Amino acid sequence: MLTLSCPSCGANVDFKSKASLFAVCSFCKSSLVRHDMDLEKIGTISDLIDDMTPIQIGTTGTFSNDKFEVIGRLKVGYADGYWNEWFAMLGDGRVAWLAEAQGFYAFCYPFFDVAPPTKASLSVGKTVDFGKKGIYEVDDIRDCKCVYSEGELPFNAQQGRASTSVDLAGFEDEMATIEYAASETRVFLGAYQDFDAFQFKNLRHIDGW
Amino acid sequence: MVGNPGEPELPDEKPVDPVTPPPPSTPRIKSFACTACGAPVAIRYPGATMSVVCDSCHSVIDVTDKNYEILSKYFSKTDTWKPTIPLNTRGKIDGKMWEVIGFMVRSDVASKYYWMEYLLFNPYYGYRFLTEDKGRWIFVTMIKRKPDDLSFSSVRIKTPMKVQMDKRSYRIYNRGISKVEYVLGEFYWRVVVGSEVNSADYIDPPQMLSIEYDDTEKIWSLGKHIDRKEVETAFKLPPRVNNMFFGIGAIEPSAYTADWKKMKLLWASFLGFLTCAAIFFSGTAKNTLASDYTGNFVPNTKVNDITIPKFILEKNSANVQISLYAPVSNSWFYLSGEMVNNTTGASYPFEMTSEYYFGTDSDGAWSEGNATHQLELSSVPGGEYYLNIDTESGDFKNTNQQQFSLQVRRNVPSWYNYWWFVFLVSISPIYSWIMMRRDEVARWSNSDFNPYVSDS
Repeated sequence: MLTLSCPSCGANVDFKSKASLFAVCSFCKSSLVRHDMDLEKIGTISDLIDDMTPIQIGTTGTFSNDKFEVIGRLKVGYADGYWNEWFAMLGDGRVAWLAEAQGFYAFCYPFFDVAPPTKASLSVGKTVDFGKKGIYEVDDIRDCKCVYSEGELPFNAQQGRASTSVDLAGFEDEMATIEYAASETRVFLGAYQDFDAFQFKNLRHIDGW
Repeated sequence: MVGNPGEPELPDEKPVDPVTPPPPSTPRIKSFACTACGAPVAIRYPGATMSVVCDSCHSVIDVTDKNYEILSKYFSKTDTWKPTIPLNTRGKIDGKMWEVIGFMVRSDVASKYYWMEYLLFNPYYGYRFLTEDKGRWIFVTMIKRKPDDLSFSSVRIKTPMKVQMDKRSYRIYNRGISKVEYVLGEFYWRVVVGSEVNSADYIDPPQMLSIEYDDTEKIWSLGKHIDRKEVETAFKLPPRVNNMFFGIGAIEPSAYTADWKKMKLLWASFLGFLTCAAIFFSGTAKNTLASDYTGNFVPNTKVNDITIPKFILEKNSANVQISLYAPVSNSWFYLSGEMVNNTTGASYPFEMTSEYYFGTDSDGAWSEGNATHQLELSSVPGGEYYLNIDTESGDFKNTNQQQFSLQVRRNVPSWYNYWWFVFLVSISPIYSWIMMRRDEVARWSNSDFNPYVSDS
C-alpha cells in the first residue's frame, strides 16, 4: 500500500491498489490525481446527501472464488436515477467493479480480449460478440454523469465526469458493461449475483434496519 | 435531463461522525412542504426514492428535482382506494423483512380489469412487489435474466406464446396494456398516473413470468403465489370479514392438480400391474367343459323342474361359466334355475334369457338382443353338482319344438374381477382429474388464451 499526504490538508491518503490514479481525501474531500508519487488537487467533492446504499469503503465480499474489498466508489446519475460502481481490489492485486442499483448487484472484471464496438453502432436489442465469452445483447444505453466519488479510483472521477454506459445481458445471469468516456472506452464482463451470495461483511448501517 | 441528478447536490448536513453512539432504529425521514398544497410530505427513503405522493392532495412530486416539481396533480380525488396492507408496515416474506412503501392500482386498458400492487423495500435487498387480485396474492421479484422463447417462431417477437426458464415452461395467460390508475407512497421511479405500458403474463402455477416492455426496454419479473394467510400473518393484518373468493387465481395452486400429479403415475403403474396379472390368470385358466346339456322346448309353453345330470367341478375354488343358446328369432327363451352342490346342498340360483329381435323401420334395418347368454359364478368350491331348471318361451310365428343348449364350464378366463378392480382403483384418480380440470377451466376462464375454448 502506498500512503501519500493530501496537498491540501496534509492528511494521509492511502492507495491500496497500484491501479488507482485518483483519490478523494477522506478528511477534506479534495479530489486528487496521482502522478506517480505526487498528488495534484483538482477540486473538491461536495458531500452526498440522501444515500441509501448498504455498501461502503471497506466492505468485503466474495464473488465465485474471488474475495474482494471495496476501496472506491463512483456514484453516477442518469435521467431516471442513480447507481453505484464500487471499485474493488482482489486478494491477488487484480481489480474489479461491483455495480449496485436498486438492490441488484453485479460483479465484473475489465475485459481486453475483444475491441469494443463503436458507440454509434449500438442500440437496444443489438448483439455484441465477445469471442470466447459469448454473445451479449444490449439492454439499455444511458448518458450519465459522476455525481459523487470517494476512496480511490483508477481514473479521474471528478464530479460531473460525463460518460455513456451500455448494459448488456449474456447467458442467464451474465452481464457486460461498455463505458464510453471522453478519453477512453472500457469493457467489463461479469454476472449478477444475489445479495446473500456475496457474503458481505462490514456493511454500512442503514437507519431503521 | 429531467431533474438534473447529474448536478452536484448541495451539502446541508454534516458528515456523520463515526464515533456517534447507537445508530437510530427508525428511518431518517426527510420532509418538505407539498409544492401543490403546502401540506408536509415525508420521504422515508431519500436517495432511493424518486417520486412521492402527497397524502393530503394526492399530487405526485419529483423528489430529485430541487424545486420538487409536480409530476401529476390532484388526481382521482373522487376515486379513492384503500390499501389492504397499510403503507410503512413491515412484514417478513421468505425470511426477509420488507416495508410497504408504495401502493398502486393498475388496470388492463382493454378489459378495465383492476388490481393492486404494493411496492416493498429493503435497503439491502432492493425492491419487490406484492400484487393483490381479488384475495389472491403474488410475490414478485424483478429478474435480470431473460426467459427463452419456446414458441419456435421464426420471427423474434416480444411476447411469444410460450417461454421457458429454469426448466419450467410458462404459457401465455394475458397480454395487454397496463395503466396506472392510482398511487400512494413513494417510488424508485417517477410514477405517472395514467401512464401505460405493454405487458404480458405467462403462467406455470404456482409461478408466473411477466414482461413489461416498450421500444427501449423490457423488464421481466418472476411472480410466486403467496397464500393470503401468509400475507395477513406477515403484515399483522386484521382477519378479513369477507373471506369468500370464488374460482381460482391465475397461479393459485389447485389441490386437485397436485393430487392428480401425485396420483397419475401410481395409477398408471397399478393399472399396468392389474392388466399383467389378469392376462396371466386368463392364460392359465383351464376352461374345462363340465356339463353340456341339450333340451327340447315348445314355444309359448312352460317346463318346470328339469334336472340336469350330475357333473364334477374340479379344483378347490374357481369360477363357473354357464352359457345358454336358444335358436330365437323375433322370440324369447327364458330359463331360471339353480346349481346345487350334491354333497353340501349349497345352491347357486341364476336366471338367463335368450332373445333376439330384428326388422326394418324408417331408419333402416335394426336388431337387438342375442341368441346366446352367458353368466359367471365366481369362487365356486369343487365337488359334484347338478342343475335344476325351469324354462319358458314366447314366439308368434314358429311354434314347432326346438332345442336349447346349456353348457357349464369350469375355470374359464374371466375379466370380470379385472374390470371391478380397474373401476375401484380409478375412482379417486378420475375424481381428481375431473376436479383438476374444473379448476384449470376456471383458472383459464380469465385469460384471452384459454386452451379450453377452441377458436371459432
